[in-house]
Amino acid sequence: MREENKEIRIRSIDEINEKIKRGDAVVLTAEEVIKLAESSGVEAVAKEVDVVTTGTFGAMCSSGVFLNFGHSDPPIKMVRCWLNDVPVYKGLAAVDGYLGATSISETRGLEYGGGHVIEDLVSGKEVVLRAESYGTDCYPRRHIETVITIDDLNQAILVNPRNCYQRYEAATNSSDRILYTYMGTLLPNYGNVTFSGAGQLNPLCKDPSYETIGFGTKIFLGGGVGYIIGEGTQHNPEPGYGTLMVKGDLKQMNSRYLRGASFYRYGPTLYIGIGIPIPIINMSVAKTVALRDEDIFVNIRDYAVPSRPDLRPIIKRVSYAELRSGKVYLGDRKVPSSSLSSYKMAREIAETLKKWILEGMFFLTKPIEPLPKRGKFKPLEIRRKEPKVGDIMNRHVIIAKPNDDVNSVAAKLVEKGIDHLPVVDDEGKLIGIVTSWDLAKAIAYNKRRLDEIMTRRVITAFENESIDVVVRRMAQHNISGVPVVDAMNRVIGILTTDDISRKIVGGRNVT
Amino acid sequence: MRVKLIYSHDVVEKPILASIVLKTGVPINILEAKVNAQKGELIVSIPATGDKLREVLNLFREAGVQVQEFTETLRIDWDKCMACGACISPCPTGALKFKDDWSIEFDDEKCVACKVCVTACPVRAISLP
Repeated sequence: MREENKEIRIRSIDEINEKIKRGDAVVLTAEEVIKLAESSGVEAVAKEVDVVTTGTFGAMCSSGVFLNFGHSDPPIKMVRCWLNDVPVYKGLAAVDGYLGATSISETRGLEYGGGHVIEDLVSGKEVVLRAESYGTDCYPRRHIETVITIDDLNQAILVNPRNCYQRYEAATNSSDRILYTYMGTLLPNYGNVTFSGAGQLNPLCKDPSYETIGFGTKIFLGGGVGYIIGEGTQHNPEPGYGTLMVKGDLKQMNSRYLRGASFYRYGPTLYIGIGIPIPIINMSVAKTVALRDEDIFVNIRDYAVPSRPDLRPIIKRVSYAELRSGKVYLGDRKVPSSSLSSYKMAREIAETLKKWILEGMFFLTKPIEPLPKRGKFKPLEIRRKEPKVGDIMNRHVIIAKPNDDVNSVAAKLVEKGIDHLPVVDDEGKLIGIVTSWDLAKAIAYNKRRLDEIMTRRVITAFENESIDVVVRRMAQHNISGVPVVDAMNRVIGILTTDDISRKIVGGRNVT
Repeated sequence: MRVKLIYSHDVVEKPILASIVLKTGVPINILEAKVNAQKGELIVSIPATGDKLREVLNLFREAGVQVQEFTETLRIDWDKCMACGACISPCPTGALKFKDDWSIEFDDEKCVACKVCVTACPVRAISLP
């Protein structure tokens, strides 16, 4: 069917450019074309509309800028370099560097990063350039510290390996504590849902089979003009998660559409505005430009499970319409939902691009190569032996019963030289934990039985869990040991920070 | 008007708020509540003005509840705000929401100054002076 549609050519990009030149091209934003399709049908879209403009404005971490600083006198081969104390990648020629959006300030921490430096440069602000070298015969200088603005740079070229995700999975949190993630603040017990992406305004959603978008497509990028230079990293078109690699001249851009941002306790990033014109060249594109938020679906995933993105449990599949409504039903509960990307800015970008085309300032380009329609996004397999909880934990667990006497338990802790004592019922199932601190409290309050003083809400681990995940769990709960339990909640071992520091020293090897 | 109501040990178990709602007919909205056996602290919004508001506040005082004006409120730097929405769903009281044009609206009557939005904002446009 699609192949058939493709053959019904409606108009060419050259014909559209002629119309733009003459000033009689019909340009609608993606929102306007949806209205037209609803009132008059897709045929009317095909017949009447030449170009549909799209827009998106969201956090795009895989972004950065190639910089050329020019040579100082005496010159330096910069080996390490910082802008406003944010490290610049220097594995390039003497005065070329790449500043990545998520690079973290060495003095201000997670609150300031590459994305902020990019915004500061685009705003014309002065930025402190510092670099170090070992000195060579041709580049004798070993240190440089000066102040620059974007005008001092020979080139500042935004080159983003992955931007403009076609769709993005939404997030929620089943755990009992607040999570700070790259999907924003996630409240405990499914307290909210966050999502990203412009849905019905999103460029790749409007041309999901990449009939018009490809290598060489001219786009709105950060308030200036840019180009698509290929598919982005992690491009995964078959399930509908295409991405783009884009470039553009930072010097032409506008800080309204390039915003340094930082997700609390996650780190810095860059919000970028991208708009892509979609020429209505055939019926197939006329149909897809009219897709609405109601037609575009994503999964809501549970970020409480600290696993690979594709292994986080799917809680629900929802449309962008439901997400954007502000309430999502999870089971029978209405949960607040809100975006991390700006729909208002996405609209503004689609409008701006429309204006550029109508005013004859922006012409369309014919891609020299389509985007790949196939691709695989593979996970990273760990091929080295990595210790799991089961490899490090102590299997000879000393346990206690709830009606044990406090004094005998205290004696046991001293005798065995341990700090954590899991309390189990008659079937060996974990019902509490007692530490030396709890015993101190027992003496202070004159309690006799263990079940009067034990902690009942025990933080545990499983045998097959990663050490890093459990270390983070212990740090978050400010504890120094966890009982390891099986699926039936029976205690099979205990893991303490002592075990971890003694058995994993200076690396990841199991001893 | 938003006020903080402080219940001492002596009055914490009495249904004072409910009685005042019944007596005055003012639908007082509890925005935040911290109550235990010793003490209670409520932040409430009282949708009344003039004499009616004075009547409600006096009834609380007569019942032994300490009434403090609750003036803490957010400051939003609208020049910085990108209208992304990252602050909206974490807000426990619905004080932050989208307007029809997808810009952000802040209702300080509903705000309990919990500060969850201060860290949720990726461009630090929200502060609590």
